[in-house]
Order: sequence, then C-alpha cells, then structure tokens
Amino acid sequence: MPAPAIETTNLTKRYGGRPVVQDFTFSVEPGQVYALVGPNGAGKTTVIRLVAGLAFPTSGTVRMLGTNPHEHPEIRRKLGAVVEAPAAFYPYLSGRANLRLHGRLAGGVPESRIGEVLQQMELGAAADRKVGIYSLGMRQRLGVAAALLTRPEILILDEPASGMDPLSLHLVHGVLRDAARGGTAVLLSTHHLDEVVAYCSHVGILEEGMLIDEVDLGERRARFRATVSDVHAARIALETQPWVREVAVRGRDVVFTLVDEAAILRVAATIVDAGVSLRELGSDIFDLRSYYRERVEAQRASRTAGDGSLRIGRDGSYVPHRTDEPDAVPVAAPRREGPA
Amino acid sequence: MTELLRMEFSKLGRLTSVRFSLVVLAVFPALWAYAPGIFDVYGFFLVSGFQVPALSLLSSMEFLLPLLIAITCAELLGLEIVHGTLPTVLLRPITRSQWLLAKVLVASVYPFLALGFFLVASLVAGAFYGYGPFVGGTGLGREGLLGSGLMEPGVAVVEVVRAYLVAAIALVPIGLLAILFSVLFMNAAGGALATLATLIFMQLLVVFPGIEPYLLTTQLTAYVQPVTTIGWVVALIAFYCAAFAAVSVVIFERKDF
Repeated sequence: MPAPAIETTNLTKRYGGRPVVQDFTFSVEPGQVYALVGPNGAGKTTVIRLVAGLAFPTSGTVRMLGTNPHEHPEIRRKLGAVVEAPAAFYPYLSGRANLRLHGRLAGGVPESRIGEVLQQMELGAAADRKVGIYSLGMRQRLGVAAALLTRPEILILDEPASGMDPLSLHLVHGVLRDAARGGTAVLLSTHHLDEVVAYCSHVGILEEGMLIDEVDLGERRARFRATVSDVHAARIALETQPWVREVAVRGRDVVFTLVDEAAILRVAATIVDAGVSLRELGSDIFDLRSYYRERVEAQRASRTAGDGSLRIGRDGSYVPHRTDEPDAVPVAAPRREGPA
Repeated sequence: MTELLRMEFSKLGRLTSVRFSLVVLAVFPALWAYAPGIFDVYGFFLVSGFQVPALSLLSSMEFLLPLLIAITCAELLGLEIVHGTLPTVLLRPITRSQWLLAKVLVASVYPFLALGFFLVASLVAGAFYGYGPFVGGTGLGREGLLGSGLMEPGVAVVEVVRAYLVAAIALVPIGLLAILFSVLFMNAAGGALATLATLIFMQLLVVFPGIEPYLLTTQLTAYVQPVTTIGWVVALIAFYCAAFAAVSVVIFERKDF
C-alpha cells in the first residue's frame, strides 16, 4: 500500500514550553483536498510549516510521501507550497522572472510551463510587470502559480484565499480541485468555511493546537436525513435493510447513508411500513459553520468544566458533558467523525 | 550550487546598501584627496595620485569600510526576511546549508568587489596629482608616505593593489560575522549593529596584549604590515571565516520559519 502523501504522527511543537501544536496525527491521501480550520492562534500555520519542513517538531514525526522532509530535502521536488500570506516574491522582479527563479531552484522548469501556469492563474497580461505593483490577490495567484510550477504531488497552501476577490477565489478553487482530480494531495488552511464545503474533501478542526475533529465531507455529502415521529423505530427499520450502509439518530432526525443512492426511493416506504410517520426526507446538508462553532465551543467549555467528553444537547448538537450535570448522558468525544 | 550562486550574486546588485556603498566609496576618495585639512590631520601633502588610495584606506579601514561591509552582508539575509522570501526559497529542494553557504560565498567575495571599486575610485580621484614617478611612498609600502627616493609607477601599482587585496581579506570575516548575527537575530539591522558592537568591543580588548595579535580588529591594519606576516594574517582570517560560517550554518539548520 503506498504511503499517504502527508502523514503526521503525534506531532507536537512547543515554543518556550508552551504547546502550540499537540499530538497532531493526521494524513492526507493523494486526490484529497484537506482543509485545516480553526480560530486564530489555533495552530494552523504552525502545522502547515511543520508539515512543509520549515519548522522542526518538538516531538512526533512528519512524512511526505513516506519520507522525512528534513532528512531528505529532495522530496520537496514533489511539493508545491505557499506558506506566506500574501505569497512572498522579489518585488523588483516581474512575475515571470520570479517564476523562472523558482523553476531554477526546483531544478529547472521549461519556459513553456511558466507561461502555462501564468495563463492558468490569469496572470498572462501582468506576467512581465514587477511584482511590487501587484495587488494582494494577484500575488496570491502568483503564489499558486509558483506552487503548481513543478506539477507537484503535494500542494500546501496557507490561507490561499487571503486578499482574493470572488472571481479569483473561484479560479483558485477550480485549479486546486483539478489538481486533486489529477491525484495531487492538497493541504490548506483557511477561515472561509463556505469554500471548505464547496471544494474540500476533508476538514480538520483545530483548537489550541489540537485536532479536535475531522470530517469526511465526501461522506457527508452522501448523507440523507429523515424527520420522523419516532426516531428509534425508524432507525431500527432502516438498519435492517441491506441497502442502508449506516444509520444514526440526531435529535428528531434519522441520518443515514445508502449503499446505492437509488435506494432513496425505498426509504419512505420502509419508514411508513414500520408505523412511523415521515415528515421530511432529503439530503442532509452539512452546516459546517454551526458544526465548527459547536465543536470549538464544546472544546473550550471542556477545558473549564467537565471531563472533555461531549453529550448530545436538546437540539441534537454536541455540547460539553459537565460533571456537575447528573442527568446528562455523555458520549465519546468524536475524534474522527462518525455517521451522525 | 552554481545556479544558486548565480542567483545570489544577481541579488547582490539589487541591495540598497550596495548602491549606497558604491556612492560613498566613489565620493569618499574625491573628498579626501582635496580636503584642506589633510596636512593638519595626517601631517603630509599628497604629491602623487598613487598616494590617494593609501589616504582612502587609512581613513576608512577602521570604521567606514567595516560598517559598509557589515551592512551589506547583513542585508544579504535581511532582504529575504523583509520580502518574506526565505521560507519560499527553503521549500525548494535545496538544503539550508547549501543556500546559506551561497550567501556566505557572496559575502566573502563582496569585500574584494567593494575594495576593487574603492581602489579605482581612489586612483581616479588622484588624477589631479598625476601618476608619474614621484619622490616619496604610496603610504602602503614599507617606507610609508615618505618613501626612500624615487617611486616608479609600476612599483606603486603593485604596493597599492597588494594593500587593497590584504585589506579586502581582512574585511571578509566581518562580512561573515554580520551573516552570523543576521542568522541569529533574523534581522539585517540587528546583524549589522551586533557586528559593529563586536568590533568596538574587540578594539577595547587591546588592553590585553596577549590576545591583541589574534583579534579581528588587529587584522584591519594588516595591509600596512610587511609581506612576511601576511601568511599568518591569512591563516588567522581563514580560521575566523570558517568558524563564523560553520556556526551560522549550524544555527540556520535548526531555525524554525
């Protein structure tokens, strides 16, 4: 089995004894677009810099295509990255000259490829102007162009959306999605949760340097939701069906995934046959914004009270399990996100 | 590595401090060659264009040239920090030590380029005095400015070039010290100022005669020392250079960006 494109194990970084990243374990496979989200100071940039090999971990390991980038810097031939926001270039050189310089540092890139990435990022007209007069968005696009220059197997981007207008953002999303379709593993950090839902395949939520949750957005997009009169009866009815993959209860809804999406036509009949009235049936649209807020707030609350575990609140969302609430039923804090 | 060196040399010409230094090094000899108070301060009159380079070195080697070299060498790294290009470069498949050693090499060559320019500017500034045979010395040979009779132009050129070469060698470790401090502080101004502070401190250490011959600042006057002592000076400077470069690389290798 080939090694993941990016893999960290118990990655920890301390500055002056203060942990900035703690026990960070994750992986990004080829073709995935993995977004790191989290509040300011959560450790996203530090994780990006640790993974890219710009910073050294206090403990734990980082592997890029199965190789330690510190021990084998030549692995960076397969890496394209933008770790500064805005992307950093020599302002006295043109966009094209800066890319030539990057190409030379990368071991040589044909002139035609430089023109190609400049066109791809719609910088053809500005290619021969000095970068010093570029707008923030143009610099960011040039950064992505530089990252794409060597047709990398891994793309790492810190805040790629910073300073971009909606059209540029759309352009960059398309380019990253295409790169992922071509087998490139993309790791990025962002504050724009809408863009994460739009084109990322996975999202990791960071808080205080810890990966508090991971969501497989591809799997999330394949979920359905049924609002029913009796969630438990509906769940039992569905989980006995061979065409249902997973079922879970969330508040007043039953959330499920199917072996084949065509089987959605059978769901209504199955629920009604079980004597349960069906009020609503449809795709389970994932509200990352709410989910993110709940998870971060739950994590913060767990630090001040409770044992760090979660319970399901009245509205079906995760809330911290407080030890001073005897009637609360705790559930395990989801590490890798489950079906509900 | 050749590509990296080519890039680093091309960046050198873009540095503001290099442009500033060139202006200073061009203007300085012209001002000093015709300064009205030269006799009052130095006790001699210029009689030949070959004496201007000596006057330039005598007046600048103690402070001005080390300062200019330190600022430029500190800016070699500082420029990358200011533009934010340091992490971008380090993400490419080159080792940190390769990249820093390219900077170290440029910093080692820069004093020769600067002093070459300074020498030409000094000779041009002395055009008024002429370049023919003259009675006296270049100020850079064994007999100083008084000389021991008639000085032929060919001999004068050799003395002047040799002195500038030795002066450039003596400035190399100062450039590398500036790189070391820039790596330490990740800041061009900090690198240059710390270098100057170190040089000033070393100048104060002359109160310890035992260590004086080994000080970096002592070597700044090596250009007027007899040829026989140059081997020792070069060896000592090479030791300083190797030490500064090695420590810079070790620190740089472990830096977080």
